[in-house]
Amino acid sequence: MFDLNIEGAELFALPFGDIVPYFSVYSATLAAFVLIFILIAAFDRPERQLNIIFGGDAFYEKEIKEGDTRFSRFMAIACGFATLGAVLTGDIFNFTLFAVLVGITNIAIVASAGNHHVLNAAFQYGIVAMIATVPLFGAAAIILATTGTLSIWTLAGMGAVPLLAKAMLILGVMGEGIAPLYIGKAEIIRAQGAPFVLMIHFSSLLLFLRVTEIVLVI
Amino acid sequence: MIEYIIAAMFAGLLLHGIHRKVIARIQGRPGPPIWQEILHTLKFLGKESWIPKTASQGVYVAVVGISIAIWTAALMLLITQESLLLLFALYVLHKIVEHGIGLASGSPYAKFGAIRSVVSAASELPLLSSVALIYLITGSLMLRDIEAYQAINGPLLIVAFPAAVALYLVILSKIHYGPFSIVEAKEIVSGYWTEHFGVWRGLMNAAFGLKTFVLLYTFVVVFIGPIGLPLTLLAILILMITLSFVCAATPMLSPYDSVTVQTLTTGLIAIYIIYLGVFA
Repeated sequence: MFDLNIEGAELFALPFGDIVPYFSVYSATLAAFVLIFILIAAFDRPERQLNIIFGGDAFYEKEIKEGDTRFSRFMAIACGFATLGAVLTGDIFNFTLFAVLVGITNIAIVASAGNHHVLNAAFQYGIVAMIATVPLFGAAAIILATTGTLSIWTLAGMGAVPLLAKAMLILGVMGEGIAPLYIGKAEIIRAQGAPFVLMIHFSSLLLFLRVTEIVLVI
Repeated sequence: MIEYIIAAMFAGLLLHGIHRKVIARIQGRPGPPIWQEILHTLKFLGKESWIPKTASQGVYVAVVGISIAIWTAALMLLITQESLLLLFALYVLHKIVEHGIGLASGSPYAKFGAIRSVVSAASELPLLSSVALIYLITGSLMLRDIEAYQAINGPLLIVAFPAAVALYLVILSKIHYGPFSIVEAKEIVSGYWTEHFGVWRGLMNAAFGLKTFVLLYTFVVVFIGPIGLPLTLLAILILMITLSFVCAATPMLSPYDSVTVQTLTTGLIAIYIIYLGVFA
């Protein structure tokens, strides 16, 4: 597969029938970054926001209790593992499942702030993420129907995947990975950002990077 | 390898100094000496440093290390002529660094910088279209294959001119004082890295110097090809000066205008790619 000259040398492959999880230089680098961010999400304490009172010099620090962050932390870790799965899987259907899981955990991270504006942003993002599952799973269905397999390893370099399926795959990931724009709207300035909100942006970009690789390879 | 990394860092910081000098001269000011950014970095590295009380400590420190790691890896990729796709991935991960730096401290100014960083994620789109076009033309994303292609067919600058424009725009979006530098605009103090000071600032300066060198070097390697070290350095310098002219002559765009320009560029290149793929 890796004579395709796209993502660097093959480092490791684990054949499970036609489903082959694999490490290339590319996917290993992405996986290493995911692990670093999972560790940060698991053990780092959240930032404590400073809010400015406009029109004067006053500012105040928001109080963040450990219990308030428990759900966000759990979801950030879950999001990290879903991202790891999306980065490492050798199967397109599994990739779409992990992408949707990333979307679900992202909604949860955004929604855990409990603020009216933030919940509104989470609701809007949730609708987009749900709609995005249609092209995402649709792409997997088209690929299976036209090629008879969902294994990236098998499909690599065949050029058998229809352009429509690739376009739908990208469209689906764009829908699932659009969360950062919604948190940009509301979440960052109203809830603690690091390390939980950071995981949203990170997972979205990693999904984007993986789907770029998949589309080029298949 | 360490000597390459340090040399590239100093070269990048020197390019930052030249950038400031050129902008100043165009605007009729004497400007700082060209080694000013190197002196700044060395000064910051010797300063007393701590982590703000309100910061998310792990992220606050980790993003600095990740920033250095990303651009060091990118330089190694260029030297070893590995995958352009991986270089693209490292560039995109730099966006996480910007975001993380802005979110880590708790400061509202840094946070606004981070929000602008999220909004300006459109700056990655021209790079993606550039990579896609290069793959369509050369049939490979390995830098060694791209160089070999250019040795036979001439510089990609001519064949893949829209891709070169896209990468130029990407570099412009990452250069200080540029039209797309909304993440560190003065109305939000220093933007996303307002609260990183002392050693942290010094290390980030070094990493960003490395980033500038790597991006310009990538442009030369991908679009001009193998021309030897002296000519490569000259090409990098010329490229930097052209960027400085653009920065000196162009006001900073508003965040949404910045995104619009980048998205439109990507759209035009995408149309060109579809034209190439379908009709050519």
